[in-house]
Amino acid sequence: MSADFLTLAVGGPIARSPLAEGSHRGAELEERDGWQVVASYGDAAGESRACRETVGWADLSHLAKAELSGTGAWLGSPADGVATRRGDGWACPLTPRRALLLGDTGTPPDGVTLDLTSSLGAISIAGPEARETIARFCAIDTRAATLPPLGFRPGSIARTPGYLLREGEDAFLLVFGAAYGAYMWEVVADAGGRLGGRPVGVDAARLAAAPREEVASDA
Amino acid sequence: MSRLAVQPGERIDRSRPLSFSYDGKQVAGYEGDTIASALYAAGRRIFSRSFKYHRPRGEICGCGQCANSLVDVDGSPGVRACGEPARAGMTVTHLNAWPSLEFDVMSATDRFGGRFTQVGFYYKTFIRPRRLWPVYEKVLRSAAGLGRLRERQAEREWETEYRRRHCDVLVIGGGVAGLAAAARAAELGADVVLCDEDVEPGGALLFEGGHERAGELAEQARAAGVEILSRAAAIGFFDGLVPVVQGSVLHQVRAARTIVAAGTIQQPLVFGDNDLPGVMLSGGARRLGALYGVAPGSTAVVATVDDRGLDDALALVGMGIELRAVADLRADVSGGLLAGRLRDAGVEVLGGLTPARGHGRRALEAITLASPQGGKERRIDCDLLAVSAGAAPALSLALQGGARAEYDGTRAAFRLTELPEGMFAAGSAAGYEDGESAEHSGLLAGAEAAGSLGHHHSGLREEQGKLGGERPAPKVATPPAYSGEGGKAFVDLDEDVTVKDVKQAVAEGFDSLELSKRYTTVTMGPSQGRFSQLPSARLIAAETGLDLETVGLTTARPPWTSVPLGVLAGRPFEAAKRSPVHARHKDLDASVRWAGDWLRAYDYGDPEAETRAVHEGAGVIDVSTLGKLIVRGPQAGELLDRLYPNRISNLAPGRIRYGVLLSDAGRITDDGTICRLDEETFYVTTTSSGAGAVEQWFTWWLADWGLDATVTDVTQGLAAINLAGPRAREILARVTDLDVTNESFSYLDAKQAKVGGVDCLLLRIGFVGELGYEIHCAGAHGQALWDALTEAGADLGVKPFGLEPQRVLRLQKLHIIVGQDTDSESTPYVAAMPWIVKLDKEQEFIGRWALEQRQDQVPPVELVGFRCADGTVPTEGAVVLARNGSPAGEVTSARFSAKVDSVIGMARVPSALAEEGARISISDGDRRIEAVVTKKPFFDPDGEVLRG
Amino acid sequence: MSYLLTCPNCGTREVTDFGFGGEVAKRPSGSPGRRELNTYNYFRHNVAGVQREWWYHRSGCRAWFIAERDTTTNRVLKTEAVG
Repeated sequence: MSADFLTLAVGGPIARSPLAEGSHRGAELEERDGWQVVASYGDAAGESRACRETVGWADLSHLAKAELSGTGAWLGSPADGVATRRGDGWACPLTPRRALLLGDTGTPPDGVTLDLTSSLGAISIAGPEARETIARFCAIDTRAATLPPLGFRPGSIARTPGYLLREGEDAFLLVFGAAYGAYMWEVVADAGGRLGGRPVGVDAARLAAAPREEVASDA
Repeated sequence: MSRLAVQPGERIDRSRPLSFSYDGKQVAGYEGDTIASALYAAGRRIFSRSFKYHRPRGEICGCGQCANSLVDVDGSPGVRACGEPARAGMTVTHLNAWPSLEFDVMSATDRFGGRFTQVGFYYKTFIRPRRLWPVYEKVLRSAAGLGRLRERQAEREWETEYRRRHCDVLVIGGGVAGLAAAARAAELGADVVLCDEDVEPGGALLFEGGHERAGELAEQARAAGVEILSRAAAIGFFDGLVPVVQGSVLHQVRAARTIVAAGTIQQPLVFGDNDLPGVMLSGGARRLGALYGVAPGSTAVVATVDDRGLDDALALVGMGIELRAVADLRADVSGGLLAGRLRDAGVEVLGGLTPARGHGRRALEAITLASPQGGKERRIDCDLLAVSAGAAPALSLALQGGARAEYDGTRAAFRLTELPEGMFAAGSAAGYEDGESAEHSGLLAGAEAAGSLGHHHSGLREEQGKLGGERPAPKVATPPAYSGEGGKAFVDLDEDVTVKDVKQAVAEGFDSLELSKRYTTVTMGPSQGRFSQLPSARLIAAETGLDLETVGLTTARPPWTSVPLGVLAGRPFEAAKRSPVHARHKDLDASVRWAGDWLRAYDYGDPEAETRAVHEGAGVIDVSTLGKLIVRGPQAGELLDRLYPNRISNLAPGRIRYGVLLSDAGRITDDGTICRLDEETFYVTTTSSGAGAVEQWFTWWLADWGLDATVTDVTQGLAAINLAGPRAREILARVTDLDVTNESFSYLDAKQAKVGGVDCLLLRIGFVGELGYEIHCAGAHGQALWDALTEAGADLGVKPFGLEPQRVLRLQKLHIIVGQDTDSESTPYVAAMPWIVKLDKEQEFIGRWALEQRQDQVPPVELVGFRCADGTVPTEGAVVLARNGSPAGEVTSARFSAKVDSVIGMARVPSALAEEGARISISDGDRRIEAVVTKKPFFDPDGEVLRG
Repeated sequence: MSYLLTCPNCGTREVTDFGFGGEVAKRPSGSPGRRELNTYNYFRHNVAGVQREWWYHRSGCRAWFIAERDTTTNRVLKTEAVG
């Protein structure tokens, strides 16, 4: 018997985002990989435009998350403050002996993992006003000179412990304690809304965060 | 409406008139006007009534720095009319006068106040008799103050945005020096933010004929990438964090380097009735004319101690104002260039004279000039006295940041002598006052700040050369501490502090600046001592015979510029934690309350019925808030053995043990259960409020001891639902394939199984006393688990129950809540659980030494249960009396239990009374409650139900 | 109070990101006497000057580290990882 109960069983009931109280309002929901996710808020084109022209934010809590501890190449060096692409996800160094795995990284070659998918909520924030949006509730320095793409920063987000990953030039991923989900959605929506942005579905958000060449090849 | 001819560089747009309401009357102005400039143009001279004496007060600074022009705008008091742009349709009303500014009843205090308004009067008078203070207070409060808040306002009406801004260089002040510094630093590659209080950058250039140059400099700075924040006040310096308030945005600027280029504050003169409307700073008079095309007066006298006043005098002449005389305190003025030009313009320049007394009832009508040495005296009729008593550099922000300043007699002002690391000064703050040298000093500061960040500039030395080292000090006469004898001579207009007040304070022994400030409140008004610090220091120096250097200056506290409290109140969101099942509690209309940082279901409308359901059928309670840690690794057992007073490492996989955590002083800090999942994995639960602290505690010792184990907080990742009651097993069996018979799943067993299709960890424990299963699963499936359990048990009467019924249920079992039934003194011996301490354990666990030293002593108090015969529920915290009647313990929990049919509770009682059946007296306010001690649980004392 | 601290793992953050663990004290070993234990439990040096102290990056990597801070100016001279 280990800590298997932390992991959502395949074939179990549909998984519900810890942000659902906020993020599911007005949303068109779809079941994907066992999760109820927000496909869109009914205006896919407008949502994509927000991610290009102002700012769009999306509930990405279904993203797999895990703690990796022990030794091995995947741990990386926290001093660099940069995440490493692993599979379709990222390995984000926390300490010399711990890292946070985000997304579908596949199984690390060394070390032990603990599933934190349900422990952490995630919001993607994308668009030219993404930095300004984050600056409304987070004191982490997001200037490109200090936080280049793939830069990773553990630190306080809206007065709660969290992590900030810069996925691309204008795309960020906020990761935070799941119990703060409804609160965090409220905070991001307040900040982004004042800057002309809107909540968006996961597809619009993923497209905005994808590296340029991927977008080009998809199109 | 009287306006001057179009002034070069004026700020108003005469093609765009607007109007607003002032005290119910429409006032006309132009786009670009401030409230005050429009009012002034409309002929208004009295802008406010003073704080204490209700004397009429007029315009002084023309730039929003003094308290004289405070008004209420659209219901917000405390707006400075001379800094606030006029907007069409705004509603402006005066403050602090009744019934009107022209006739204020309270101004009687000015004429008849006498000894009642002396400094320290309140302190000395209203302390006796003490019981009357509430009455005094009510009267005094209604007479004092500078505005009236609305009785009610919409909750969180204030909408301030908070914007964190990191930058390389922050430039405070957008005058010529600040603009030059910002542009230079940005050109060298630094990321620069500049904040300035005016509506456009340029500082003094804007009204001193340099508006075109100001525009060029601002354009250059913008082109270099400087982010210019206008109408943005830096309000303090907090360990390098500078809050900059700009309308409804509070920028929290964290800069690697700061350049202070905040310019100067022109100083007033102290003489009799120096507060009459019409007595103005010469810069303020000039601003009114140059920026807004408003004549500050029709017949003017200028009184100065420096060239700035002469320059302003020339400007007034240029505006066409009849200047009757210029009094220059410097006796030797005949040869000066500016004086010459004034004479050429037909203005009489009087050397060695300074104002001694203002005349006029509601506004200035004449001024008496005199020599400070006595003798020569001259009275001149005028309605404007423009004064210039030297310029004090605005140093407060630099001082807050750790800079030091010294008095410079040649400039008659304090100047910076030492800057903290990372801070630079430019312009007046650095001692460079004329435009050209200020600009050079800005360029230099910009280059130095950028250079210290690695953006080097080859011409730095050249820049330094241009400044040419120390500048010759401008010729300034030191103004007298005060002059003249008659009338009230104000040292501080904000607080109505007079020369007499400060003299009296010094005479009474409050003879240092800091003491006198607190006693007289000098410098403590809304303008933060801008115009009163130097005059009051000068006065104290004169009274004590000390020099100004010794008297020193105080550092104004933040906020340097007044801001509405709403700006500082934060966005209206509370960082609440919610359980994964929270939506269901809302569906069920639970009464949701804060519990620590969680929002929890306190009850679902009928706590007593919920308690009954648990006893009679079954109940479910959401306990997802419990702290939950995964402790893993080869030495995980060793770690826990050292942290808990009982043995953990010998726990078999699949078994559970209760544990308390102790400090090194042997006091209980938290409790919970420890479940061994496998050889190297433990699942530890903590109290709901203790999760964070326990994680810190575990990881701290782990760091110190260096054991091979990891601790991960999974509190927020797991839902936990406690299913309890006689029907719990039956309900559970309906939704799981697990063998739930008592034989295979007994008390303190842990099993992993699917419940309603959800992977769960089931702990057979019973905080509430009935047969119970605490079921944990991944949070994203928490709601599904809740639904499965409530649906499966619907026909068996399963009911959700909240925190309140749980408190009653656990009290029936005398199960403690750490922090409620224990305090910071409670050892396991006090908490009546000596059995949990295993002093024969080989590990040196935390708290062991302290407990070893106490094991043979009788604890002073002991936690026991009690029941009250007469049905009164004592207040938690009520005092338990010793036999001799002295207070000796306290009630920690008390409730009425329907099941026990009695009021029951827990209390720490003197050990002598900690006996089964002992009678205790509880003193609860006015009540005296008798109770009987019990050491056995009220419900299921032998645990048969729990284990069955 | 809003000075900065540099977490050995995460870099520089506002002090509000961190939890304070007090001055570094030597924990007794063996079987301390009453006086030694009380000194350890209840007495602090409380220096006005540079002191070594424990900090916890509560909002970040959740690691403990040691900082040398001047208690009179809040200047943090250095921080170092533990273990």
